[in-house]
Amino acid sequence: MKKLPYELWEPVVGLEIHVQLNTKSKLFSSAPNRFGDEPNTNISVVCTGQPGALPVLNKEAVKKAVQFGLAVKANVALFSKFDRKSYFYPDSPRNFQITQFERPIVTGGSVTTFVEGELKTFQINRAHLEDDAGMLKHFTNFAGVDYNRAGAPLIEIVSEPCIHSPKEASAYASAIRAIMLYLNASDGNMEEGSLRIDANISVRPKGSTELRPRVEIKNMNSFSFLEMAVESEMKRQVALYLDNPHRTPEELIPPGTYRWDIETKSALFMRAKENSDDYRYFPEPDLAPIVLSQEYVDDIRNTLPELPHDRYNRYVSDLNLSPYSAALLIQEKELCDYFEAAMKHSLNPRQLCNWITIEFTGRLKERGQTLISHKIPPLHVAKLVHMIDNNVITGRIAKQVADDMVASPELDPETIIQQNPDYRPLSEIAEIEPIVDQILAANPQSIADYKAGREKALAFLVGQVMKLTRGKASPAVVNELILKKI
Amino acid sequence: MTNLHHLSAVELNKAFVQGDVTALQIAEYFLKRIENHNQQLGAFLSILGPRMILKAERLDLKRSQNKPLGKLAGVPVAIKDNMHIAGEITSCASKFLKNYRAPFDATAIRLLEQEDALITGKTNLDEFAMGSSNENSAYFNAHNPWDLECTPGGSSGGSAAAVAARLSLIGTGSDTGGSIRQPAGFCGIVGYKPTYGRVSRYGLVAFASSLDQIGPFATTVADVALTMEVIGRHCPHDSTSLDLPAESYSLNTTLADVKIGVPYRFLENLKPEARANFENNLHVLKSLGAKILNIDLDILKYSIAVYYILATAEASTNLARFDGIRYGIREKEAKTLDEIYEFSRKEGFGREVKKRIMLGTYVLSAGFQDAFYKKAQKVRTLVIDAFEAAFAECDAIAMPVAPSGAFPLQSINDPLEMYLQDIFTIPANLAGLPAISVPSGFDSRQMPLGLQLVGPQLCDVPLIQYAHAFEQATQFTRKIPPLFKGSAS
Repeated sequence: MKKLPYELWEPVVGLEIHVQLNTKSKLFSSAPNRFGDEPNTNISVVCTGQPGALPVLNKEAVKKAVQFGLAVKANVALFSKFDRKSYFYPDSPRNFQITQFERPIVTGGSVTTFVEGELKTFQINRAHLEDDAGMLKHFTNFAGVDYNRAGAPLIEIVSEPCIHSPKEASAYASAIRAIMLYLNASDGNMEEGSLRIDANISVRPKGSTELRPRVEIKNMNSFSFLEMAVESEMKRQVALYLDNPHRTPEELIPPGTYRWDIETKSALFMRAKENSDDYRYFPEPDLAPIVLSQEYVDDIRNTLPELPHDRYNRYVSDLNLSPYSAALLIQEKELCDYFEAAMKHSLNPRQLCNWITIEFTGRLKERGQTLISHKIPPLHVAKLVHMIDNNVITGRIAKQVADDMVASPELDPETIIQQNPDYRPLSEIAEIEPIVDQILAANPQSIADYKAGREKALAFLVGQVMKLTRGKASPAVVNELILKKI
Repeated sequence: MTNLHHLSAVELNKAFVQGDVTALQIAEYFLKRIENHNQQLGAFLSILGPRMILKAERLDLKRSQNKPLGKLAGVPVAIKDNMHIAGEITSCASKFLKNYRAPFDATAIRLLEQEDALITGKTNLDEFAMGSSNENSAYFNAHNPWDLECTPGGSSGGSAAAVAARLSLIGTGSDTGGSIRQPAGFCGIVGYKPTYGRVSRYGLVAFASSLDQIGPFATTVADVALTMEVIGRHCPHDSTSLDLPAESYSLNTTLADVKIGVPYRFLENLKPEARANFENNLHVLKSLGAKILNIDLDILKYSIAVYYILATAEASTNLARFDGIRYGIREKEAKTLDEIYEFSRKEGFGREVKKRIMLGTYVLSAGFQDAFYKKAQKVRTLVIDAFEAAFAECDAIAMPVAPSGAFPLQSINDPLEMYLQDIFTIPANLAGLPAISVPSGFDSRQMPLGLQLVGPQLCDVPLIQYAHAFEQATQFTRKIPPLFKGSAS
């Protein structure tokens, strides 16, 4: 492929994010809403579309949808309703999906998040409730349908076409995921398909406001695939425009639906839009409209948990974390909650954040683990930071202790230090004093230099003592001792 | 006791409770009647003999132990074959479901069994309840007990025929556009379509969800009232079920100060015979103290058009699940997924069902939805409004059940003429209103005719009281078709 002036173009992307809500039962039946069980065990007569079965709306799912709407400062409709969307496919038990077409429960709203260090706001068009389909499983000489997922509650969040780079797309999508996790509205598990993304992608010359024909890439379950898909689709479209300057956008980009192929890391054509189904939406007669009272909505608003962005603001303003660290921390709710738990035992948020997000996360990443999965108690990390702060151990020893904590996650850092003589803190003056004397005796020139005003000479002396104690001495104590003696 | 079939359900229940007859005797008596008559009548698609005997034995045991007995103890009840009895076949009179065993009980069935009814069997119907003559059954025709050459009406023709011929004393039906009331009228029995949502639709195979309503057939209004006390309950499995306590139906015999509205202009084209009967009925109502007044319901002339758009639209999606994947017929010749769908549906559905699925698909399609489906919805709202205005002036509305008495089988071949059968019954479905069909006399062929009373939403109790008063004054309900009057043996 020849080099093309991509910088003169921008993608215009709108995302449809399907998030599976973590309710106990399904959207319209009492069957368990659970992933990973034996096929066709978490089903009821409703999930398999038995004649005579009727849907009954799960109130918990409605509550989670309302929470989401309020979390993104959207309009929560006091009156919304369900529609039937008709299409034939074996994973669709009734051959129609129950969704909210005409009157969704959430309209508008926005999400603000960092994109490569810059704060950006993305507009949401709508979010609606609908039920998931089952899953087809292909075997050598037949295909089976697993209806365990059929009827699982989904909220589909549709953005405005306000996303203009692959990074923006993934930042927006991860911000949505984070909100869902903070609301405890979804497990957000992308490998299990709890969050699936469809992207509508077009491109236009930078500076223009036109909307050119778009293609839809369906069913991506990772943020990196999303970035790749936007990137490659953008390049494909730009190349088409540049190679065919005399043809219209409509000719070059016929609207179509693509599927992201994990193997080839490319979008595979599924079907052209003009042949696409006419879904024949009409109001679902088996369900009453969802009518909410203002009081109900207000109650949910007043009991919303702290959301990622609120937490970010608090971290920066109250805890004095750097914007970078705060943004990093809020991204992963589990880790952020871990930080919150550790903060209960710590007075040094900056250090604590550093140890959690960088030191431990780095060490554990090699093992494919996290602090949470590896079961290192938050208290232990807080203790470690505390011991550094109180000069019980040096930073260098702390790193070794951290290694040991990863090796034996059940061990308290205090115990680790007690058990290893090498880590024993040398803060006791009696132990350090002879060494200080020895270094001072050996370096009269440095003492003279310090007295002559060269600050660096002191640092040299401290360093020499530290070297001799193999880093175990507390630099503060050494400093103090030297100053006293010279 | 002899001639158990001459009793009403209330009377038979009393006889059983008092010990005049055992449940086993009742079961054997009615099973014998079914065995003797079903061949000529075509009322039952399946007879649940062993089940009925078992239940009867349990009832006798219960009574011998002086345990409390249900409201319908000992009463034989026939079930339209589009309602689920767990473990039994629900065929919907369709080839598609000839082997489909219901995985659960319909709520109405559960309530009937809870109150100790003796379920006799599953009755014939137009396939998926689509039709007005029972001729759309994929299996065989049902016949009118008053004249076996005639239709019992539809779609609940089997239940109506079974009750009219006293093969059961109660029957269940589903009424989407008149499927209880019209066959009740044709067979000379009482048929009741309750307020939409009064009886749970859970376990009823849906035709048009926003119009379908389960209701009873019986030989007397009192029996209808008794059945309603049993099945008219809130059900958490049906989101459209009314969240109201069950009602009790006290019956009285006067219509003093009751205002009955008659949409005279809408009834302009009534044929002379039907008109004469209807006017007689109005005289009876008047004689009971009712005031008759003219009301404007001209909008109802659009009912059939609206109905055949909305009902088919809903049906096209309700019946989409019959695709050969999970249950029902799967055509063996099919090689691709599309062929499974195409061949299975082609093989499994009858002509009328296919026609309605296509109609419904069409009226919902992009480009046509505004002109058909959405417009029909608007007219439906106007119908509801018109009824509301009418009920500001009157307590109930009187109309004939159907334009005529039962017609001979195979005599109506024009689909539009067949659809016109439901001109007087459809409006109550569009507005979700309670409506009852009461025997009102006979035509010149000695075929029964019916009077329909329609009430405001939720006014099931007063409506049934009015019907009871009319029935007591006329006594047409105690007439038994001559062919079926004799005892079983």
